[in-house]
Amino acid sequence: MTVDVQYYVLLSMAVFCIGLFGVLTRRNALLFLMSVELMLNAANINLIAFAFYHGNLTGQLFALFTMALAAAEVAVGLGIILVLYRNFRDVDVTVPTTMRW
Amino acid sequence: MAVLELPDWMALAPALILAGTALVLFLIDSIEPHSTNRTLLSGTAVAGSLSSLAVAVWFTVAGVGATGIENYGVIDIMDGQFVVDQLALYFMIIIAVVTALVTVASYDYLQDHTYQAEYYSLVVLAATGMSMMAASNSLVTIFIALELTSLPSYALVAILKDNRGSVEAGLKYFLIGALSSAIFVYGVSLVYGATGSLQLTRIAAVLESGDGAVAEMGGLLGLGILMLIGGIAFKTASVPFHFWAPEAYEGAPAPISAFLSSASKAAGFVLAFRVFTTAFPLEATTGIIGIDWTLAFAILAIVTMTLGNFAAATQENVKRMLAYSSIGHAGYVLIGLAALSADGGDLVMGAAMMHLLVYGFMNTGAFLFVGLAEYWGVGRTFEDYNGLAERAPFACGAMAVFMFSLAGVPPFSGFWSKYLLYTELINAAADNTALLVLAAALVINSALSLYYYSRLVKALWIEEPLLDRDRLAQPTGLYAAIIAAAVMTIVLLPAFGPVADAALEAAAAVVA
Repeated sequence: MTVDVQYYVLLSMAVFCIGLFGVLTRRNALLFLMSVELMLNAANINLIAFAFYHGNLTGQLFALFTMALAAAEVAVGLGIILVLYRNFRDVDVTVPTTMRW
Repeated sequence: MAVLELPDWMALAPALILAGTALVLFLIDSIEPHSTNRTLLSGTAVAGSLSSLAVAVWFTVAGVGATGIENYGVIDIMDGQFVVDQLALYFMIIIAVVTALVTVASYDYLQDHTYQAEYYSLVVLAATGMSMMAASNSLVTIFIALELTSLPSYALVAILKDNRGSVEAGLKYFLIGALSSAIFVYGVSLVYGATGSLQLTRIAAVLESGDGAVAEMGGLLGLGILMLIGGIAFKTASVPFHFWAPEAYEGAPAPISAFLSSASKAAGFVLAFRVFTTAFPLEATTGIIGIDWTLAFAILAIVTMTLGNFAAATQENVKRMLAYSSIGHAGYVLIGLAALSADGGDLVMGAAMMHLLVYGFMNTGAFLFVGLAEYWGVGRTFEDYNGLAERAPFACGAMAVFMFSLAGVPPFSGFWSKYLLYTELINAAADNTALLVLAAALVINSALSLYYYSRLVKALWIEEPLLDRDRLAQPTGLYAAIIAAAVMTIVLLPAFGPVADAALEAAAAVVA
């Protein structure tokens, strides 16, 4: 039994929206990072489902690239959060306000 | 490709040279960790970016990527994943120029800095990503090049690890960047879902084939295109993802602000030009999603330039004023995409590209002057800059050139590129009168921008200093970069004809 592609799209959109909600509401930088990961993985679900739907491997291959890039992004992000903690003694993204918005 | 019978992949040489330079810098760092040999490190980076520039200029002059009988034609690399044409080479030139100016200026700015080799290799790596972005012809390579640009940039903004402003700027830049790249890649996945391909020309072929399956997915495609615009708006610092720019530019080291606001913006725009002219042909896409995508760019252009200029007019901090002015200029360049639906739209796009080249000199120069002021330690607000001209007339003269050129005052080249944009827009408006609104917005905003640019010139040259200053130092690297940028801002004037022709031809080749 195969599942129709639109259910995968619904799933990925749900995951994407959960991630977006997290980005908009969380104040902890680490939770923010996790929410962004959710959004990236939503795209991966789409890519793999559509690769199956279209019958080519382009999407699956791109999903691999996305995962690698997401890992690189987290590495840089954690580095920045680390220096943030050293300077401000907190990982709350609303604390650093030396510059006005 | 027949320049001395080189293999095809050599057409990417401007980007490959930058990548090689970054690796050489890593090598130097691993041989001598924490090296503070500024001449060696800065010299390597400058040599790399200048040779990338030389190769890109040579290719352009030799006719690589130009269409025509005696030329070598557009070069496809790796089955169309990369394409080297006049558009790609034009933007590789802009990026190499800005990188060279920034690395020269960093020589003094980084005095007593602990992480010099890392700094230069990150700058050159980000430049590699931007250069690759100019040649990317598939959403896969575009996304990889985009991240290769973004990741070093995040680290560079936060590189002053003990400076709270720099760390805060890095955090905000990273958070918004991560969010927008997630949105971008989701947009890519939706476009892939609708068309079954990630390569730009194949996407266009599917859309134009009028396949019934694609027509049913018009909603997905439309949403995907909207999300791609979001990712591009982040890179170019336009509305709705512009709010990182004032923070990141203010907190970052000044040469990095110059680099991000000139080179990174140009790279974002080449991405926009490439994706929207190649992958989403207007008529076919409009038929499927029901809306003309140029409309989205027209709205973004007007909102971006108005917001940027009004916010810039209210700033007290010079670097922040320049950051908002850079948002305003993104709005001017967006006009190039908004006018594509009309006849003569390719000329408007060429004029927008011309403006990006001029902007590469004048804006980089302006930020480097701020870097010079930070080097002197004179402070950050307009009042702190009062009367600097008494002590440093050369640098302040150059700054006046940048300011008037940014405002678009004749006879500087900023005026001519804006004038070209305006006249081409008026010509295109003969076909689509709605474009007159854009032309009006351009004129009103330019007039407003003169207010805050001339305010800075007034502070430098006319106001009395708040306190007596000793003689100011004259750092060689910063001075050299600023004077070079100022000279180019003026010299582009006599050379304007051929350069403008190159830009217009590059635009026409992509649109056709």
